[in-house]
Amino acid sequence: METVKLEVFRYDPEKDKAPYFKEYEVPVEGTLLNALLYIKDNLDPTLAFRAFCRSEVCGSCSMKVNGKTKLACKTPMRELYETWKGKPLKIEPLNHMKVIKDLVVDIDKPIEKMKTLIPWLVPDPRVVPTDPMHESIIYPEEMKAYKDQIHCMLCFSCYSACEAVEDNERYRGPFAFSKAYRFQVDRRDIETAKEKRIRYAISGGLWSCVQCQKCLYVCPKGVKPAEDIQNLRGQAVRKGFTDKPGAKKLKHFVDWIYATGQINRLYLPEEVYGNREAREKLTKAYESMGVEVWEVPKPTKGLMKFRDIYLEILSREEKALELDFSHVRKIDKLVSDVFKADICTIVDKVHQKEEKTKGLIGRLKELFGGSDG
Amino acid sequence: MLEYDIVIVGGGGAGLYAALWAAENTILKVAVMTKVYPTRSHTGAAEGGINAVLTHSVGDSPEAHAYDTVKGSDFLADQDAVDIMCKMGAAVIYDIAHRGVPFSRRPDGRIAQRPFGGASFPRTCYAADKTGFYILQTLYEQCLKNNVTFLNEWFLLSIIHNGEKVEGLTAWDIRNGGVHLIKTKAVILATGGHARVYWNRTSNALGNTGDGTAAVLRAGLPVKDMEFIQFHPTGLAKTGILVTEGARGEGGYLRNKDGERFMKRYAPEKMELAPRDIVARAIQTEIDEGRGCGPNGDYVCLDLTHLGEKRINERLPQTREHAILYEGVDPVKEPIPVAPTAHYSMGGIDTDKLGRTSIKGLFAAGECACVSVHGANRLGGNSLLDVLVYGRLTALEAVKYADEASDTQPSASKLKDDERRILELMEASGKESMPKLRRELGEVMMKHFGVFREESSMREGLEKIYEIRERAKEVKVYDTSKKFNTDLISVLEFLNLVEIAPAIALPAIERKESRGSHARKDYPKRDDENFLKHSVVVKGEDGELSLSWKPVVITKFPPEERKY
Repeated sequence: METVKLEVFRYDPEKDKAPYFKEYEVPVEGTLLNALLYIKDNLDPTLAFRAFCRSEVCGSCSMKVNGKTKLACKTPMRELYETWKGKPLKIEPLNHMKVIKDLVVDIDKPIEKMKTLIPWLVPDPRVVPTDPMHESIIYPEEMKAYKDQIHCMLCFSCYSACEAVEDNERYRGPFAFSKAYRFQVDRRDIETAKEKRIRYAISGGLWSCVQCQKCLYVCPKGVKPAEDIQNLRGQAVRKGFTDKPGAKKLKHFVDWIYATGQINRLYLPEEVYGNREAREKLTKAYESMGVEVWEVPKPTKGLMKFRDIYLEILSREEKALELDFSHVRKIDKLVSDVFKADICTIVDKVHQKEEKTKGLIGRLKELFGGSDG
Repeated sequence: MLEYDIVIVGGGGAGLYAALWAAENTILKVAVMTKVYPTRSHTGAAEGGINAVLTHSVGDSPEAHAYDTVKGSDFLADQDAVDIMCKMGAAVIYDIAHRGVPFSRRPDGRIAQRPFGGASFPRTCYAADKTGFYILQTLYEQCLKNNVTFLNEWFLLSIIHNGEKVEGLTAWDIRNGGVHLIKTKAVILATGGHARVYWNRTSNALGNTGDGTAAVLRAGLPVKDMEFIQFHPTGLAKTGILVTEGARGEGGYLRNKDGERFMKRYAPEKMELAPRDIVARAIQTEIDEGRGCGPNGDYVCLDLTHLGEKRINERLPQTREHAILYEGVDPVKEPIPVAPTAHYSMGGIDTDKLGRTSIKGLFAAGECACVSVHGANRLGGNSLLDVLVYGRLTALEAVKYADEASDTQPSASKLKDDERRILELMEASGKESMPKLRRELGEVMMKHFGVFREESSMREGLEKIYEIRERAKEVKVYDTSKKFNTDLISVLEFLNLVEIAPAIALPAIERKESRGSHARKDYPKRDDENFLKHSVVVKGEDGELSLSWKPVVITKFPPEERKY
């Protein structure tokens, strides 16, 4: 029988001073869970790991194989053998949680964190009947809004892989935001609960996510926490929660791109973090390096048309409200002051001599192409 | 010593629903004790759906549902209990829907229902093919909302009672180690089924070891109708994991070692699509008569190769994935080894129609209980209903009881006994290997108390069970650490199975008829005159089991032949 070596993480805090790896030879057969059960039944009954359903629904047996997060019952030994060319496989517990013993980690903390985001339905009595024998009507289409999120089985794979959890202890974890978002888009959930969830999500690190997308790749059930986090951020801004740096950054991006076609790195530190000296320091630094510095970018040709298209895209994604026109007007004024004319005149004047036959795509390319300046 | 008013043992569908209803209806101290985190429980694996007559089920009625259930049970179910369960169907469905269970909906926004085996109307509500999963997750969310106290990863050891009322429990704290005495006025057991007795071939999760049922036996309390175990015809041979009925529906053939499509001898017209129990019995006959495939002749082949790769990928993707994953066989190229797999325990802790046991304050709900609403055979879609209805009923009964019950004083002697028991396991000889014995027990159960049963074979089987019970005394726990000692838990679970096995065997031998899932070669007919009654098994102080019988409650539906 073909075999492969597993180097399994062992640690019993009662007995061991430090974790160590123990080697076991197992058949290349069935799943990684079968291999672990083989060890327990035939080689070493003291090995501790969690497992229950054997068929990918209970979420007990997530762990790391050569650094990659896997659900043991869903991972064929043959596949591991071939991927790693028969080399020993290092089996380790998930990250970011305290090891209780061997491959068993403490999942109480992520559950407690999740709990702070109200991951349950708070029924709106106008939608959900209080009469227990009265059915609440839900149309199949509206259930599509949370069709992915409801698959989360609390395996904590995403929590283990998450960069933000690594950086920020308070960060609630990708799955927790997905669990919360599931109710944000449920018509039956009451508005006051939705507002609270946003408030708690923000204090739980909503803006700390770096959008590395790892959660999305490790989820064995196709949940997409990174996307849900983006959508929660959108909801936060729309609900007026704009005082966090993350929200301010988003506001800067949306407003400046609308106003000028690009973001403004000189103003970013001030608008996001309130750092007033940054503009001056940056200007000096850039100048000393011989980099051309524009206080505001030169409005490009077709800017007005671009604004229309941009607004249309924002409206289609229901994000038009994130655009703050009073801020845009301030930027317009800044541009007018620098170029000594109102914005429409500049756009016309700057480009009046250029050819007028270019297509829309060509014009858009022009707009985006120069945005690094 | 921990103190509560109500302790619910088990965190699956029945346990969580009981916790929720207790939490919302009382200020008593309630705790859920579970050996795994609640969302790991096996309710999560229930796919098909949950039966209920809803307000928009035109033409259907709770009476029709009750009749189907009683007929499906081969008239062994208690009709007063079935009546309660079927009448409460709509109430529990709407309740969990209001709490957020994403039931699949009709275009008009009402809960969708589909036809299911043995039902005269399409009354099975479903949430895609993960009904149990969504119910379990939703109930857990709602328990978090209600701040339910959880003792996660605690293992039930003993029930303490004084012969009249319950006084407490003992349990092992898996995470930190150590036996604890828990004082409580009421206990709801919701510990799930025990089909893991058939260790090598069951669709059940690794932990469905009947811990509550075994504790009840050890406490000298009755279990009921234990001989009834439902077998699904096509489980993967090595693991027992289900191969959906759809594989035969799509045109798969069942073949024996000679390549013969043997169903032609059992059901010449319907062939592979005959009813579940007939197919299960046919497969078992082939295996028993030496026409099984493989080196041990212990399975038959489910041949899908003629369907072609495209159709298999389109219609049976999960079957292919599981066959490759768990059997190392690609159904596109080779037939899949299958055999009947133990699926559901109809029998369990003896309760009345409200989930009460003979001991005051001790209740049971869900698969561990035998009310009985499933009688000799459970209909698909009725188990999730049972779980919710009885979770809720026992919660309300327990609240009512605990509200008025006087304080209990559980003696610490059980604590000492259990501590000693665990110490002895760690100091045992180790002459016998637990995994080997567990496998042997599984083989004995499948061979002698499987799909088919017969006097002489069962007597032989019972002897072997007793022999295994003796040898089990030599089993050792090698891991002596306190924290997360899964070696200890595995051995305790195995010992629970050893406790349960003879309680299945004894009534199986004495029930000299064929009824529902209990198919006897020597008594192929149902015998209402002598056996229209529940079997009750109690373990005496001498450790021996005694069997008695109890009448079936018949109200509306007189027994008739079960024909479909």
